Amino acid sequence: MSTEHEELYSQRKERLDRASALKEPDRVPVTGGFGFFSAKYAGISHHEFLFDYEKASNAVIKTAVDFSYDTAGSVSRLGALPFTLAFLRDYDGLAPVWVNGPIHDILGVRYARFPGRELAEDAPFQFIGEEYMKVEEYDELIEDPRRYLVEKLLPRSCRSLENPGSSKAMASLFKWGVESRKSLEASRRLGAELKRLGFPSYSSGFSYAPLDFIGDYLRDVKNVLLDTFRVPEKIKQAAVAVGALIMEMNKIAAKTAPEGTRAFIPLHLNEYFSPKQYNEFYWPTLKQVALDLIDLGFIPLIFYEGYHDAHLETILELPKGKTVSKFEKTDLKKAKEIIGDHSCIIGGPPSSLFIGGTPAKMEEYVKNLMEDVKQGGGFIMSPSVSIPASAKPENVKALMDAVKKYGVY
Amino acid sequence: MNAIVELDEPTALELAAQMVESGTAPVDILEQCRNGMSIVGEKFESGDFFLSEMIMAAEIFNQVMDLIRPQLRKTTSESKGKIVFGTVEGDVHDIGKNIIIALLEAEGFEVIDLGVDVPPAMIVEAIKEHEPDIVGMSSLLTVAIESTKKTVDAIVEAGLREKVKIIIGGGRIDAYAAEYIKPDASSDNAAHGVRLCLEFMGGDKV
Repeated sequence: MSTEHEELYSQRKERLDRASALKEPDRVPVTGGFGFFSAKYAGISHHEFLFDYEKASNAVIKTAVDFSYDTAGSVSRLGALPFTLAFLRDYDGLAPVWVNGPIHDILGVRYARFPGRELAEDAPFQFIGEEYMKVEEYDELIEDPRRYLVEKLLPRSCRSLENPGSSKAMASLFKWGVESRKSLEASRRLGAELKRLGFPSYSSGFSYAPLDFIGDYLRDVKNVLLDTFRVPEKIKQAAVAVGALIMEMNKIAAKTAPEGTRAFIPLHLNEYFSPKQYNEFYWPTLKQVALDLIDLGFIPLIFYEGYHDAHLETILELPKGKTVSKFEKTDLKKAKEIIGDHSCIIGGPPSSLFIGGTPAKMEEYVKNLMEDVKQGGGFIMSPSVSIPASAKPENVKALMDAVKKYGVY
Repeated sequence: MNAIVELDEPTALELAAQMVESGTAPVDILEQCRNGMSIVGEKFESGDFFLSEMIMAAEIFNQVMDLIRPQLRKTTSESKGKIVFGTVEGDVHDIGKNIIIALLEAEGFEVIDLGVDVPPAMIVEAIKEHEPDIVGMSSLLTVAIESTKKTVDAIVEAGLREKVKIIIGGGRIDAYAAEYIKPDASSDNAAHGVRLCLEFMGGDKV
């Protein structure tokens, strides 16, 4: 690391850590989340971004260096939590599982659609939930969730694992292991290179809201919502059972994660619920997972997708300064009023502003937002989801320029 | 129909079945459902109901509709307007689309549902074939901002822009997106979207 990069690294890390600890840094930090924008910007297709590790890494590096936010982006890949949970007790540590292009080819993951496969060459990948678990199977899931995942979900959600024990299934798992090693090494090389260039990583841990696991991977969003009316007791018991498995995962992750590692938890069902339903079906097990992570030395970084305005007060039930709260469409000014001195807030421009806006509009957005949320620290600027592929580069640049202008303390 | 507003699925379906059996005119059953859905829509807009309640209400409404549809076809009721509706290309999410379609049908609109992942050319063809008053486009994904714009552009190119009102909505559709795409109206709230459609038709419920 050159001295200049070392200095940048510690400045950025300090900035992010201070804001996360509810203090004022030198200026509001700006985190990456460049997503598929990196591919478009570097001139490679979405397909290449997901299938070619070297091209993808180079795209991430080029984007990080050119726009110089406080963190870099990452190579996109889909989660594979059912596998992590299924392998928990028989793998040495946490299995490094995710779904990228080559792994999708090997497993035939039914919940994933990839560019150059099910989608056009230049489309972002998609997660498509389906009803892999029937409503009659709740008891089976509650009885032994890990067994249910191994015996029912994996064969149903991956074409290559349709017949467990078949030579095709076994060969696929073997190929998957080999590919995961390559992918993991590429990922480590990228991380090291970004660090050398002065970019700290903001979060490296991961966890999940139990009810979202049921909605995303087992019952599908619509069904899980209908289940809250039709089989309310079953769904509560299932969330508790899945939650126990997720906490078992947290415990294993904690063995190798340094104290203070931020664990990212993306929420999906939160905005669908009224406060009454949120507090009855969703929050109890999410809260338990978050408290468990805090006990283990993690900082939960919870991404409250969509509108979370109606549930903001619940964040106060988690210990002060021990969580980070990222918002998408929630009113950030209101969030600052309610949780501003309790949990660091992350938020910023919507995708539409990156796509259809202008640098002047971006500047105006940042100026107004800074007036609402900057005071007293505890705020990090970030695209509301991630920067979309069709964002105009001048708008991506304008965000950082505007924060340097209006976000200094 | 209180059972719809109370989201009491078993009671709502039982009552509807009893009414069908006892010879109640399907239009009367429909009318009650519409009243129920109208209250549901109001509760959603005022913040009493959230999406999960909307999804449950739409599910009940659709089941009752399935029950009375065979009879309903035989009678003609006046439509408040014709709408072609679809989730745009590149997006297969239909929860939002199905909620607003249920509310629109309950309100008395005739809805032609083109489904999900609908290419611009298919929407243009549907406008030519059905000559709707309104075209509705729904989506969830960020990528849909571009597809929605492409679809509006295709309608302009086909020379059909003046013939229809366009309304867009969905997870990533906000004021910035609307400024970019240039529809006649946009919303990310289904009940509000229905009111906008009524306004297009010069409706009274504004």
